Amino acid sequence: MTDLIIMAALPFLACLVMLSILGYVGLHVLKREVIFIDIALAQIAAVGAIAAHVMYGIHEDSLPAQLMALGATLLAAAFFAVMRRKVSVIPLEAIIGVSYAIAAAGALFLVGIGTGGHSHIQDMLSGSILWVTWHDILVSTLILAGAGVGFYLFRKPFHAISDDYEGAAAAGVNTLLWDFLFYVLVGVVITTVVRIGGVVLVFCFLIIPATVATMLVSGWGQRLLLAWLTGAIAAAVGLGFSSRFDFSVGPAIALWLGLAMALAGVGNSLRTRSRRKVPGPPGG
Amino acid sequence: MSDFLGFFAVQITLIAVVLVLHTYLGLHVIRRTLIFSDLVLDQLAAFGAMVGIGLGIRYGTSGSYWLSLGAVLIGSLLLAVAVPRDKRIPREAVIGILYAMALVISLLLGDKLSGGGDMVTKTLAGAMLWVNWPLVIVTAAVYILLAAFHYLFRAKFIALADPGSRLKRRRMWDFLFFTTQGIITVLIVPIAGVLLAYAFLMIPAAIATMFVRGWLKAVFFGWSVGLAACILGLTASYHWNLPYGPSLVLAMGAFFIIAVIIRSMLPQAQGAGGGCTS
Repeated sequence: MTDLIIMAALPFLACLVMLSILGYVGLHVLKREVIFIDIALAQIAAVGAIAAHVMYGIHEDSLPAQLMALGATLLAAAFFAVMRRKVSVIPLEAIIGVSYAIAAAGALFLVGIGTGGHSHIQDMLSGSILWVTWHDILVSTLILAGAGVGFYLFRKPFHAISDDYEGAAAAGVNTLLWDFLFYVLVGVVITTVVRIGGVVLVFCFLIIPATVATMLVSGWGQRLLLAWLTGAIAAAVGLGFSSRFDFSVGPAIALWLGLAMALAGVGNSLRTRSRRKVPGPPGG
Repeated sequence: MSDFLGFFAVQITLIAVVLVLHTYLGLHVIRRTLIFSDLVLDQLAAFGAMVGIGLGIRYGTSGSYWLSLGAVLIGSLLLAVAVPRDKRIPREAVIGILYAMALVISLLLGDKLSGGGDMVTKTLAGAMLWVNWPLVIVTAAVYILLAAFHYLFRAKFIALADPGSRLKRRRMWDFLFFTTQGIITVLIVPIAGVLLAYAFLMIPAAIATMFVRGWLKAVFFGWSVGLAACILGLTASYHWNLPYGPSLVLAMGAFFIIAVIIRSMLPQAQGAGGGCTS
């Protein structure tokens, strides 16, 4: 039992670090209805790193490769910010969804002309959170704290745009600039956490706690607290589950997040039903 | 050389057939912002095939197809039923979570199958190079039946895309919509892979939505652009010996990026938007 706790302590800590910022970003992502953003940006960053590997033969975890990943992310951030403003005939989610397909095909293309890519794709999906080190946690905490400061400083324009894009634009907010900054910060966060958690777990940490919280409570503060709580419980249960039944950690935690979501959904629909059944005041 | 031409002809014919219905369904998916729905069905089709492998049924056999179809029908039902009543939660979020869960159960199953990891990658990339004439004929027949079904009930399906319409039994029509999407998924994923199947659905329809009003015109426009891109991608893939599926997706992707740039330079008021009829 103590062995299990010692082995699970670091991955659990890593989950909390990821969750601290993903829970918040998830609330924005839901409001903006850009659910695909996480998978798309993770894939785009991966294309940058794979391209560096194929073209220059450098390791995908090396600094130059990570810089190329960041470059690809910046390009995507600019693209999404411009498209949100210039192309309104098609939802931004569709543009992001298609960008994902292009980036994923780009990765397979580069891997196909390079070598040894199959295990890479599997790793990128599942992640390797069980092998996370103190060094990984420290570096990601520093990067995420930097991004967190950015989100805090620019919270006003970010919230204004997330709540009502057209309204913010009409009120004189520079939507192009703030959107670009927003997607850059999201890109930095996503690429940092995907290296630890894998695409699947990061996507679930981003969307599920935020959805559960949006469903059950209102206001940014309350939702953030509930999102953190949901994510932390699912992470603890998922870690125990994966170790007991010998499953990959990332997908196992994601499964428990999914169960939490199902539970919240059923609970919420029962709550609304019982409210409807409550008889009105006499004579009303 | 004639071998090459024969091969090329089979593949182009298949793509031309497939693109008609994919473009049409894609228009629905984009106008209703259900972008993740196709990935849910794709991933469930792959999951069904993986369950088959666990039971000793080979990938690409009829048993494997039936298991995929079963998984996809469950997915269609979930997609139709799991609609948030709460307006603060976009339906796309729920669909995205369903996709994540489909991927999660595939990865967890992969943990327990020998070579399961390879399987996940294989279902992503597909094997269009296996395509032969009998497969094209079966696929074409099913596609024509589904297209006829969609044509007969077009009023119902188009009403689904219009939030203001008073369509009765919305969930049942939603289920039927996702079921047709699921059936073509089951047919196309073992051939094209998840990624190319998704690209067939999304990219031509996305290009058409940006420029053309009206369903019929949009289908024709999307189909023409998609087919042109695929012919280009296929030629490049043969000529330079490039990976097959990714080349096709990238060719369509290049057309999409050009289209988006052209669209962003045109005035905003034009284009399709929501609630179009023809």
